Amino acid sequence: MSALDRIAERQLVVVTGKGGVGKTTLTAMLGSLLAARGRRVLLLEVDPRESLHQTLGTEPSGGEIVQAGPRLGLQNLQPAAVIEALVREKVPLAYLVRKITESAAFHQFVEGAPGLKETALLGYAYRALQSGHRPRFDLVIVDAPATGHSAALLAAPGLLAQAAQGGQLGDMAADLATFLADASRCGVVLATLAEEMPVQETLELITRLQVKLGLRPDLVVANGLYPVPRPGAAKANDPPRELLQARRRLNEAELARLATVWDGPLVELPLLPLGRGPALVEALAILLEEADR
Amino acid sequence: MSMDLLSGRLIVVVGAGGVGKTTLAAALALGSAQQGRRTLVMTFDPSLRLKDALGVGDAAKDEPIRVMEEGSGFLDAALLDAKQTFDRLIRTYAPDADAAQRIFANRFYQDMAGNLAGILEYMAMERLFEMRASGRYDQIILDTPPTRQAMDFLQAPERMMNLVDSKAIRFALDPWWDGKGEKNLAFRLAARGVMELSDRIIGRRFLLDVVEFIRAFAPLFDGFRSRAEEVRNLLKAEETRFLLVAGPGPDRVPDAMFFLRKLEESGHHLGPVLVNQVHPDPGPAAADPGLALLRFLADRDRRGLELLRSLFPGGQDILPVALEPLPPGDLPTLARLFEKLSSPAQG
Ligand SMILES: Nc1ncnc2c1ncn2[C@@H]1O[C@H](COP(=O)(O)OP(=O)(O)OP(=O)(O)O)[C@@H](O)[C@H]1O
Ligand SMILES: [Mg+2]
Repeated sequence: MSALDRIAERQLVVVTGKGGVGKTTLTAMLGSLLAARGRRVLLLEVDPRESLHQTLGTEPSGGEIVQAGPRLGLQNLQPAAVIEALVREKVPLAYLVRKITESAAFHQFVEGAPGLKETALLGYAYRALQSGHRPRFDLVIVDAPATGHSAALLAAPGLLAQAAQGGQLGDMAADLATFLADASRCGVVLATLAEEMPVQETLELITRLQVKLGLRPDLVVANGLYPVPRPGAAKANDPPRELLQARRRLNEAELARLATVWDGPLVELPLLPLGRGPALVEALAILLEEADR
Repeated sequence: MSMDLLSGRLIVVVGAGGVGKTTLAAALALGSAQQGRRTLVMTFDPSLRLKDALGVGDAAKDEPIRVMEEGSGFLDAALLDAKQTFDRLIRTYAPDADAAQRIFANRFYQDMAGNLAGILEYMAMERLFEMRASGRYDQIILDTPPTRQAMDFLQAPERMMNLVDSKAIRFALDPWWDGKGEKNLAFRLAARGVMELSDRIIGRRFLLDVVEFIRAFAPLFDGFRSRAEEVRNLLKAEETRFLLVAGPGPDRVPDAMFFLRKLEESGHHLGPVLVNQVHPDPGPAAADPGLALLRFLADRDRRGLELLRSLFPGGQDILPVALEPLPPGDLPTLARLFEKLSSPAQG
């Protein structure tokens, strides 16, 4: 089964990786590929500097669901807003809700409680999949924030469930943890550049996902590769070509290092001469689909 | 207006994740030492390559280690580790070993120590303060953790102060809690009208853990608070410069603007802006697709620089730093990077 076939069967997919490696671009690519296969897909971005909409050429989401194509929606989410909505849902009295959400203690709790924001975010994704939800989605793809260690995102509901045992928050977190642990429904896709730091982080993440959550990524994408130099083209003292060759060699060395740990599905994508936008997403999506076969 | 890259006794290198802060901080620090200063670079999470270049292993986590000496100058490097610094801080401020032990044993602390928003950043500042107070250095260069949107480290001292002053903390310290036991807790919370939130939603055990943590922490608060205030003042002092590192290309400009605005608004002193990994101009267009790509990237990165300069017409030195064929892997290449940074031929 190809990686895309597997991802197409998922309900929740988290796209993660270091800052600037192409997570948002990859989220958009997966969204358009899977919507084209007939899935109703929601892309969730958790980044106050909205950029997902640019990759797909829509207006900014500003917190609402925006249609980006047939069966394809995108939405920018602020964790604090999701938590407030949750309090509103759980606490029946409006004045009490206000009292709670306006209090400094609440904000400190939201900032400080381990795993709360992450759980709220994943909980939102989970609810978008429920049969009662309008519009209804088959698959939610989360463009995870680049906070270094995204294993923490996925581990959060489990931790919170333990910490907050006995309350509704704890119960919700426990439900969510069960859902996330279901390898048939939830998956992770890793984006990286073939450079030292991103590869290092990817290797650590693969191990951590395995050890902490028993989870194996559906796909690793090595993005932004410099092209293979034309044979025989190098002359002496030709800085641009030397730069290209050195960068390509570095990419290959890092791909080799990645391969020592990761033997699962890996797709290599080139650095393309295109700016952020639908043309780039479309070109890369075609390459991804070809490589995946 | 031209600004010296190394002005400021303290240089805080900031920027989004993955733009090369750590490498540039190391290059600046080496340059500083080679100019005869006693210099310390404090860094987060260096690449293996850079660790090799500096010759720092895990030993550098506790104490700075000597990287090189030259004439009257030397370079020390320290790796920052939030949890270790936090633990040390607690040991320092706790009135006795028992109080420290109570905190370490608390479940909430164990979950939280590495996790609480801003702790890592606060600890970096705290360590910076310590090192400066030691008087061992003429210049200290601080690399910052890859916090992205949030300028967490700027707000960190403030947040620490707020936390200590907050109602939540006062509430937890309320002698009413002394009756212990869940019944008593439920009663107190009901009396405060937050029963709904605390019991049904959060769960009592969690709340008890938090309360216990805060109480264990209480004896440390006064020391913490005044320390946080000193750290805040240091960050705003004339001797402290913030040096922003940005990625290349127009898509990275909003990140840079965000940092620049935040720093200006909050009254911190800005140093030059380094736009890192700018693709050099490959010369006239060629049929080779590799060179055509370089052409595209060089144009893109130049547009990014122009955009940044147009948004900051008044002042900042905005210096491009060329993408090198290979990232620096030893001291001589770091030294060469510093020479390029400070040579006027740039840009
Ligand atoms: N294969 C590629 N070829 C050319 N440009 C690319 C490629 N992949 C990504 N980019 C560009 O690189 C930049 C960063 O990509 P993107 O925003 O997807 O990364 P990200 O991981 O989401 O970053 P952040 O961590 O800031 O959210 C964008 O300008 C994007 O258009
Ligand atoms: Mg992104």
